[in-house]
Amino acid sequence: MLRSLVLRALRPASCFQNVARFSTVTDTTAGEVNPVSFYGNEPKVVSRELEFPTNDGRARKAWVENLDSVAEKKLGMVDLHPHIFAITPRLDIIWQNTRWQMNYRKVNLTQVYSRAEVRGGGRKPWQQKGLGKARHGSIRSPIWYNGGIAHGPRAPTTKFYMLPIHTRLLGLRSTLSAKLAQDDLHIVNSLDIPTNDPGYLEELAEERKWGPAVLFVDDTDVAPENIAIAADSINHMNIMPVYGLNVYSMLKHDTLVLTLAALEKIEKQILFHTHRVDRAKQNEKFMTSSV
Amino acid sequence: MASHRGYEKALSMLRTLPRVSLYNVAPTPNFVKKSKRGRGQHGGDTHGAGNKGALARQSYTRTGFEMGNNPYYLRFPNEPYYIGQHLRRQYPPLSLGQLQLMIDTDRINPKKPIDLVQICNTGLYKINVSGLHYGVHLTDDGADNFKAKVNIEVQWASEPVIAAIERNGGTITTAFYDPRCLHALTKAKKFLESGEPIPKRMIPPEDAIKAYTDPKFRGYLADPDKISWERLVLAQKYGYTLPKIEEDPDHEMLTARKDPRQIFFGLEPGWVINLVDRIILKPTDPELKEYYKG
Repeated sequence: MLRSLVLRALRPASCFQNVARFSTVTDTTAGEVNPVSFYGNEPKVVSRELEFPTNDGRARKAWVENLDSVAEKKLGMVDLHPHIFAITPRLDIIWQNTRWQMNYRKVNLTQVYSRAEVRGGGRKPWQQKGLGKARHGSIRSPIWYNGGIAHGPRAPTTKFYMLPIHTRLLGLRSTLSAKLAQDDLHIVNSLDIPTNDPGYLEELAEERKWGPAVLFVDDTDVAPENIAIAADSINHMNIMPVYGLNVYSMLKHDTLVLTLAALEKIEKQILFHTHRVDRAKQNEKFMTSSV
Repeated sequence: MASHRGYEKALSMLRTLPRVSLYNVAPTPNFVKKSKRGRGQHGGDTHGAGNKGALARQSYTRTGFEMGNNPYYLRFPNEPYYIGQHLRRQYPPLSLGQLQLMIDTDRINPKKPIDLVQICNTGLYKINVSGLHYGVHLTDDGADNFKAKVNIEVQWASEPVIAAIERNGGTITTAFYDPRCLHALTKAKKFLESGEPIPKRMIPPEDAIKAYTDPKFRGYLADPDKISWERLVLAQKYGYTLPKIEEDPDHEMLTARKDPRQIFFGLEPGWVINLVDRIILKPTDPELKEYYKG
């Protein structure tokens, strides 16, 4: 309940406020009921109760930042689930995830001619006996010059395989932990920015020492218009819905920026899949027919 | 921020190391194994198989063959310990300790009667009905630490197990299910989604009748009065005072029993359950009713 109130306070959703946002911050008296005052970004303590708190003494916290001004303002602090953001970073599992992501969609289209596919070679080149020469049945046998290739690559060969779900989950948790430990993970209240100028995002990243490559993650399919237009022309700044979050993209970008809503969803999903009751069933061999 | 905890140490090391990226993560040594077939001097030639004979041609003698001797496996007469083993009923074990753990970790709700459906739904108990598994054998491992008060129905239980459950004020029943019912019970959701009517439970086979009508075994076909008597006898034998379940606030739950023809609690044989529309279809044909009743 408290959390939803705070979230609402941090993310006022309406478009007319975008116009007023240019004249934010200053001179808002306490008595005024003015939605703009929410954009004053006065420091607020954001209490975020973990849905499944831990009792093993681990804890992680992160600042909530703003995106609506180039200068960084700290809006509050939130708890992060330590089983996702503070685990031993298994670099080998991260490597397994990246290799899987790079390989599973590859199809090898290289193909070479076998002895059956090379032109000619149907006739026995010379008789079996009587000439003192080696026995041969075809001029396209693999031991002949210009013959076919034995055991050559045959197309299409897929490199598809499925990484076990728990390796995938551990990869996500390891990467998020590593990103947080290296100050490459930032939590923002929303992705609303006051202008659609790409220079604004570049200036913001420069000012806050982000990036240069930045990945923004929100829980919606459609990003706010300004950031969508601004990030569109910068190749190394990308926006991703939360269900697309993956190890490869997190590593490809230097800085990861999560909204509060995305953070909620990531924790909920990862915790659910890590501890789901039918874990044993998830571990069964992946069959494409079972999708 | 060094700490004795491994994860803290690793994460604090990362703070001073270069950024983790696509180009500096690596697998553990020897994770990727290349299957190579050496050529020539690198293990080629005969690939270690020798020059001639059975090893080179993979025409090995059969296992156990002793070159003219009477082989060991034929030297002694048959010892028929396991004759007919593949036809016997199997009861995969579940210990009282495991049951207590399931209750403590909220996998099983002890406030409701526990049967095969609840145990299978935990996902922790494996049963293969087509492999002649006939249900749960509750074993006495962890009996000393068993503290839950439950109404449990299993397929096989020994005397100390019955005592451990009744000492805590719980009740236990041993019940037989035929394989068709077991298929429905072990994969309850899948069965109900299939749209088949709930089967009626068949009576036990001839060699199991004696056990399931035995009050000492808490058989589901035994006389309830005799079971009450045996509960008292067992309490005296093991030296505990039998809690009075008549005065228990959970009396109704503890005394809930299935009909000998019934397989699901609260559902009768012959019913078809529609989980999508949440309705129950009951048989109306008198002949069908007669079949499912008797």
